[in-house]
Amino acid sequence: MSALDVLGTVVMAAGGALSLLAAIGIVVFPTTLARMHAATKSASLGLALLAIGIGIVAEGWGLFAVGLLLAAFLFGTAPISGHMLGRAAYFAGQTEGLVHDDLAGVDLRPLHVVERAERGFSVPRWFLLLVVWVVFWRDPTVAVLAGGAIVAAIVEMLLTTTPGVTRVRPAAVIVFLVRYFGMVVVSNLRVAREVLNPGHDGIREAIVAAPLSTDSIFVATLVANAITFTPGTLTVELTDDPRVVYVHVLQFSSVEEIHEQVADLERLVSAAFAA
Amino acid sequence: MIETVILVVQVALGIGGLVALVRVIRGPSLADRIIGLDLLLLLLAGGVATTGHPEEDLLVPVLIVVTLIAFAGTIIVARFIEWRDTE
Repeated sequence: MSALDVLGTVVMAAGGALSLLAAIGIVVFPTTLARMHAATKSASLGLALLAIGIGIVAEGWGLFAVGLLLAAFLFGTAPISGHMLGRAAYFAGQTEGLVHDDLAGVDLRPLHVVERAERGFSVPRWFLLLVVWVVFWRDPTVAVLAGGAIVAAIVEMLLTTTPGVTRVRPAAVIVFLVRYFGMVVVSNLRVAREVLNPGHDGIREAIVAAPLSTDSIFVATLVANAITFTPGTLTVELTDDPRVVYVHVLQFSSVEEIHEQVADLERLVSAAFAA
Repeated sequence: MIETVILVVQVALGIGGLVALVRVIRGPSLADRIIGLDLLLLLLAGGVATTGHPEEDLLVPVLIVVTLIAFAGTIIVARFIEWRDTE
């Protein structure tokens, strides 16, 4: 067995273990919102590790790239579905077990709509879409490249631009991604520990309102998305005015701790993307 | 060795699927059942991924379709729950 085989096997085994823990978690956790922690955090990382692990073992670099793309897709979408389902569950009245609730009494418009931004064409984003296309075809022939260039251009023209991104700082982006990866691992370990803890007595659920200081919608969205994969927290709602993110906490100790955690994340994202 | 680990992982995913079904059946709310179904689809995608082979052309489309359905399905039902409860 080569070193790559060992690495791939370990990654895959971790993915399988996390997937199983996610399933156990959604059965043993006491409330809907607590179950969502297991379903979003553990299941996403579990599937991502499975796909990446099999890519390493098969030594098919195309498959490995697909695994990474799938991971990126899961980490982008899981917080969205988690947020929407958590919000729906909260408004459906599933608030039992909360020791602290900042959302109580807040009048939120159901399904509120943010105003549309103007359309625009961004070459870097077009190129990114083209790369995704080629990775999925796994065969960069002229036809694939040409088809990808056209499809990416159409998608790019139909997309709305996100206001507030004026600069991307590569070094800060790498710092953010490394820290973010660390947070993902820690948050999964904390959920796993709670699943395996027979009494689940570490669970103290709360919803905390954490104010954001950024005026960029892009940064606010990215922070809200990333919170779902940081330790013990899950975004339930993001309001625009005032800009506040409501976070569901699995193992609540203090409001200040959550404020600190969100502010730390916001600093990282702002350093990478804000003007 | 690798084959054994893959088999163990697949068995774990199968058990996970059965466990997730418990939540789908027990509920009690629609949101709980959707959490279970969403997870079931992700476990299915994991099972598909473990059969992965670079020359297997179906693998990537299946993975994309399954994860997309899991994502879109969850969002649609979440919207439905809010719509039902605000009507």
